[in-house]
Amino acid sequence: MVMLSRRIRSSVPVRVTSFPRPPPLGLDSVMLRTRADWFSEHEDIFKRSDRTLRAMPQVLQVLPLDHSDLGTQRCRLGPVVMEDLGLRLGSPVLVTLQGGASCLCTAWPRPDMADAYLQLDTTCCSPALHLKALHGLRLGVEHLTALSGPRVKRLRVTALVRNSEYTRRTSTQAVAALAAELLTGLYVHVKHLVDISHAGTPVQFLQVDSVNLGSHKAGRVTSETRLEVASVRTVETHRRWAREGSAMELGGLDEVRASLKEMLMLPLRYPISTRRVGVAAGRSTLLVGPPGVGKTQLVRSVARDVQAALVTVSGPVVVGSRPGESEENLRAAFTRASEASRDGPCVLFIDEIDALCPKRSSSTGTPENRLVAQLLTLMDGIGSDEGLVIVGATNLPGALDPALRRPGRFDREIVVGVPTLQQRYRVLQCVCRSVPLAPTVDLKSVAEMTSGYVGADLSALSREAALQALLHSTQGGADSDQSRGGGGTVRMEHFMKALRLVPPSCLRSSVGVAEFTPVTWERIGGLEEVKLKLRQSVEWPMKFPEAFVRLGVCRARGVLLYGPPGCAKTTLVKAAASSSHCSFLTLSGAELYSPYVGDSEKALAQLFCQARACSPSIVFLDEIDSMVGCRDNGGGCRGSSVQAQVLSVLLNELDGVGFKPAERRGTGQSERDWRTREDQRMQLQEVCNQDVMIVAATNRPDMLDSALLRPGRFDHIIYVPPPDLQARLNILQLHTEKMPLKSDVCLQDLATRTDLFSGADLENLCKEAALLALHEEGMSVSAVQQKHFQKVLQNFQPSLSPQQILQHQQLFKHSYS
Amino acid sequence: MSQPAVLQLRQELRKCFQSLKENQTVWKGVLEECTPLVSSLRNLAEQLRALKSVEIANTPLCTFPNLPERLQHKLLNAVDTVLGELSEKVDALGSVRDSVSKQVSAVFQMYEQNSDSLPISTCVARSALSPSIADMLEWLQDAERFYRIQYIQRRNLLQQLKPDDLALIETVTKTWTSLYSHKGEEQISGALLQVSFFMESD
Repeated sequence: MVMLSRRIRSSVPVRVTSFPRPPPLGLDSVMLRTRADWFSEHEDIFKRSDRTLRAMPQVLQVLPLDHSDLGTQRCRLGPVVMEDLGLRLGSPVLVTLQGGASCLCTAWPRPDMADAYLQLDTTCCSPALHLKALHGLRLGVEHLTALSGPRVKRLRVTALVRNSEYTRRTSTQAVAALAAELLTGLYVHVKHLVDISHAGTPVQFLQVDSVNLGSHKAGRVTSETRLEVASVRTVETHRRWAREGSAMELGGLDEVRASLKEMLMLPLRYPISTRRVGVAAGRSTLLVGPPGVGKTQLVRSVARDVQAALVTVSGPVVVGSRPGESEENLRAAFTRASEASRDGPCVLFIDEIDALCPKRSSSTGTPENRLVAQLLTLMDGIGSDEGLVIVGATNLPGALDPALRRPGRFDREIVVGVPTLQQRYRVLQCVCRSVPLAPTVDLKSVAEMTSGYVGADLSALSREAALQALLHSTQGGADSDQSRGGGGTVRMEHFMKALRLVPPSCLRSSVGVAEFTPVTWERIGGLEEVKLKLRQSVEWPMKFPEAFVRLGVCRARGVLLYGPPGCAKTTLVKAAASSSHCSFLTLSGAELYSPYVGDSEKALAQLFCQARACSPSIVFLDEIDSMVGCRDNGGGCRGSSVQAQVLSVLLNELDGVGFKPAERRGTGQSERDWRTREDQRMQLQEVCNQDVMIVAATNRPDMLDSALLRPGRFDHIIYVPPPDLQARLNILQLHTEKMPLKSDVCLQDLATRTDLFSGADLENLCKEAALLALHEEGMSVSAVQQKHFQKVLQNFQPSLSPQQILQHQQLFKHSYS
Repeated sequence: MSQPAVLQLRQELRKCFQSLKENQTVWKGVLEECTPLVSSLRNLAEQLRALKSVEIANTPLCTFPNLPERLQHKLLNAVDTVLGELSEKVDALGSVRDSVSKQVSAVFQMYEQNSDSLPISTCVARSALSPSIADMLEWLQDAERFYRIQYIQRRNLLQQLKPDDLALIETVTKTWTSLYSHKGEEQISGALLQVSFFMESD
């Protein structure tokens, strides 16, 4: 009979009561019995316990656990549910919760036999399970699975202990013995965390790595189980890994990452060979780079990768008010790090180390000097700790105490520069991974447009683009989106909008950032030859890098525009800048000169430094003659004057020996993996666009120092002539575009009559004519007539004189012909 | 229907509770014997501490040669003896645990072998005279667990001791007394009381 009921149980998948059910009509071929027979045989059962004959509940209410069951791994179920699931007393059952968390328990009937409730002891549960999630939860019966619980022969666990002191005192074997005793009688499941803290031993949790060498998922630990402790960690360390589990990807920092990783892992992976070769050095690194390139992120992600503990020290936290407190805090941080390093690899990360370790001098005062001295001594003292690596990060390497930057303290210095084009592309790929991009978005072209953007800027850019897309879809654009089939995706136009909103961070605090409305080449009438020259030096290197490399041409370093005033020199530069998508910096005399000695030189140097940081860029110096002056004529500009010093700074920046290592682009290592043609093109473009281009404009070229004018500094000296007839016509057409003209107005005639007029004069002429029309005909005038132009022209003096033009033309005759 | 299996299991349970009762007496006895040993250990630790703090040279005892060393040697010897005795006692506790574990696992093994003929409804059936099989198995498991964990804790405590760490000896003696779990003992006694009718009814 028992046989029968079991057989039936397996043949009837869905059961309502706990009792042996009648076989389905005529389907059981093995047991050829009628339903009547069956009922008469089971009569006694039905009679005896019809009180308890209840329908099995489909949903169980989770209740808090009784205190007496704590740590017993029991899960209290109603007997009906137990029977239905085929559970016996104390047999293992896996409770799966929403979200993938699970808990392994042994099934026991509730003392009150109630069926609709479930109580769980979370002794063996997956780390993702939170007790709070169980509160008031209703769980379907299908979440309970009966497991077969084979005896575990071999078990591999990770022991999590309360403090690292215990690990030092006790051997792994002792931990294993203790763990085996504590686990005896419990069921374990792979990847679960077994809580054995109630026993009061230093071993608090055991994480099950494999059961029977991976052949089983779960099983029961007996006294014969061979237990192996893979590693012993502190609970704190483990929690940290769990918390930081989601690794954040960093694009374009692969080389730095690899070298940092190597430094951390080498002594730990190959302890014997590193000891043999005596590689004791290489325990500390200084990361140098402009803000926002991802120095801090990099250290964090590397620490997470190699599962190293990360102890962070930051200047403001360390510095205390009492004398000696700062040093004490610093010592405490180092002690913490060296304690953590006994547990495993540890990174001591000193962020913004320039605040902590400035140059020692008499002016900084004793407390700072003491702190620096303390840091130096502590850094010398870490040599003995195997798994400790110190990483410092700064964006002002020049402000550090020189004693810090020697092998033994900071062995290596890694420059993390502003990302190159390819690095930007990779960063964009990383930051846009979670952003739904429309197929039209070309990240490569976004990378091309974002010169000078660092990692932080790029992530802000992607965020802003996503926001724009969101705004766009909420602002009634939803239906149009759907009709185009691009609902909810980020398109190129969103990136364009975001680009306008997120300037590169290197330009935010810059001295010479200028904003201007973009000017197209077409807005400048005439001057075709000058435009071509400017395009050659500004636009071509960006657009056709291969051609430049093939012919071995390097782009011009500087362009000097000279010509009579009002001939669109400034507008030309604007057009060049807006057509070439590069950063545009400008400096005027007002910004440059200051009452403090040395300030002007510094401002100019800073301008160039920033221009290099966000290269390719154009530095525009308008009215350069007044800014730098000339050394060799006997005028007011003597060697010691400010102007001469500014000139010397400018000469140096234009064609100096080199620049500081901290301003390096990329990571300083060449990237050899030019995989595709496209990659190669990007590479070439990067090579071509590393420079800063200087464009200067003047109408007194004779006032300039001859050193400035040699090739290598201002390679191209372009004369911007006053407009000729055709150009004047073009200019007049441009300026009268928005002006209603009467049909008798003959621009050709006006152009012939305006010899020696500059572009500015012509603009003024149009303006005056319109004003005159308003004056004469009243406010309701409909069009400007020829007579207005003529009248204005009568008492209008051209601003240029033939002598002036001749002078300009003669000036660089030799270099021109 | 499954009467023989039920009867057999009940017989085994009876036997097991009988042995649990005996073991409980032994356990209690051993723990009582431990109490004087622990207090003498504490006393010795105090003496050692006093010896460390006193300057023998400033007392009239300074005429005795090598007095501090000798005293310390003697005290440490005494500590060793006490610890030896204590570990013997802990071994005795271990044997109690072993015997309880053996009995309990035998019962569980028997249940598992016969579980096909013991449906849950039979296991949870109670009567005025006897608790249900499920309850009894649960109590046995609880008792076994209690003894096992108590043994681990006490042994672990003794293993922590180091002769040169006086403070540790003092904390250990305190912890030893605090380990005594009134509730756990009571639970076992309660279970034994509840099965008393069952044990007498044959």
